[in-house]
Amino acid sequence: MTRAFHILVLGVVGAAIVHIAILMLLPVLSERDAWARLASQGDLRQPVRLEPSVEGSPVPLADPFFLGGGCRFDLHQHGVLHVTAGAGAPFWSVSVYDRRGYNLYSFNDRTAAGGRLDLAVATSAQLTELRRELPDALARSIFVEVDNPQGIVVVRAFRPDPTFEPVVERFLGSIACEAV
Amino acid sequence: MMRLVSSVGLVFILAIGGGAASVHVALDRLAGFDGLTVGPWIAFPNRGTPGADPYSKARFSRNAELPLGKAEGLAFLAAADSAGEPLRRACSYRIEGRLPAARFWTLYPSDAQARPLPAQKLRWPGLHSMQVLRRADNSFEIVASPAPHPGNWLSTGGAGTMNLVLTLYDAPALGNPDAAEVELPLIYRTGCE
Repeated sequence: MTRAFHILVLGVVGAAIVHIAILMLLPVLSERDAWARLASQGDLRQPVRLEPSVEGSPVPLADPFFLGGGCRFDLHQHGVLHVTAGAGAPFWSVSVYDRRGYNLYSFNDRTAAGGRLDLAVATSAQLTELRRELPDALARSIFVEVDNPQGIVVVRAFRPDPTFEPVVERFLGSIACEAV
Repeated sequence: MMRLVSSVGLVFILAIGGGAASVHVALDRLAGFDGLTVGPWIAFPNRGTPGADPYSKARFSRNAELPLGKAEGLAFLAAADSAGEPLRRACSYRIEGRLPAARFWTLYPSDAQARPLPAQKLRWPGLHSMQVLRRADNSFEIVASPAPHPGNWLSTGGAGTMNLVLTLYDAPALGNPDAAEVELPLIYRTGCE
C-alpha cells in the first residue's frame, strides 16, 4: 500500500516536472512554428502569400476578410531589410515578428507617410551604421530596431468584398523584401 | 528486484505520460491567464508579445499563429452567449449593442480550432462594419442564424458548437484596455431549430 502511494506521489511530481519542461521547451524546439512553415514555402526575403484558409496557407491568418503576405529575414546574412509595397488596399497593417513569432512592432497605413508601406528592419549595430550615411532608398522609411537578427515581416490587407480582390492582389503582389 | 524495476517503470510512465497529456489538454482547452473579459467576450491583448504567459507562448508556437500587433487590432472571442450557454450552430442569436471606437471591425463564426466556418454558398464568411446597418444612436443589431433574416444577417449553419470572433482594427482605445471601459455587444439566444 505504501509502495503504491510512493509510486503515485513520485509519478505526480514527475508529471509536474515534465509538464513544465515541455511547456518551456515547446517554443524553442517546435519545428512547426511560423518560421519553419514559411521556410518550407520560400527562401529568405522571398514574399510568401498568406490566406485565411488552413489548407492553402503556410501560416493561417485568422480573419477571413484578410489576405496577407510575409517574408523571413536574417539581418546578419543579408544586411538591412527594406520592405516596400504600393498603395491601394483599403486598409493594411504590418507586423514585425521575431524568430519565435512574438510580435515586436506593428503599424498600419495611417501611420505611414502617404499611405505607402516603407519599412526598414535593422539591428542596433546596423542602425548606427545607417545613421552615419543614410541611403536615399531609406530616406522615408520607418525604422524598426530588432535585437535578434532573424524574424518575419507580415503584411495584412483588408478585402471587404470580392470586388476588392484585384486591388488587394495588386497590393500584395507589390510587396518586396529587399536587402540594402 | 523485479518489483523495484516495475515500480520505477511505473513512476516514469506516470510522469512522462501524465506530463505530456496535461500539456496537451492545457493547450487545447485553457484559454489563457491574462485575458480581458467583457461579458461573453474575451481577448488576449498580450498574446504573441514577449510578455505573454508560457501557455500562450507554447500554444502559438505549436499552432504557428502570428498574432495581431497592438497597432493592427484586437480579436475578441465569444464561446457562450450572455446567459452563459455555449453558442450552437443550429441556434439563432441576436447580437446587439455598441463597440469601442475603431476604424472598422469584422465578425465571423469560427470552429473550436479558431478556423472560420466554411462559407455557405454565395455567402461571405462573416460581416464587417461597412456592411452593417445602424440605428440612429449608432448601436446595431445583428442576427446570427442558419436561416436568412432581414437586416444584418450573419450566416451560420451546421451542427455542434461555434465561437464568434469580433476583431476591431486600428482601435487606439484598446492599446491599453481596461475591462471596465470597453463596451461590447450582448449576445441573446432567440431560438433553435
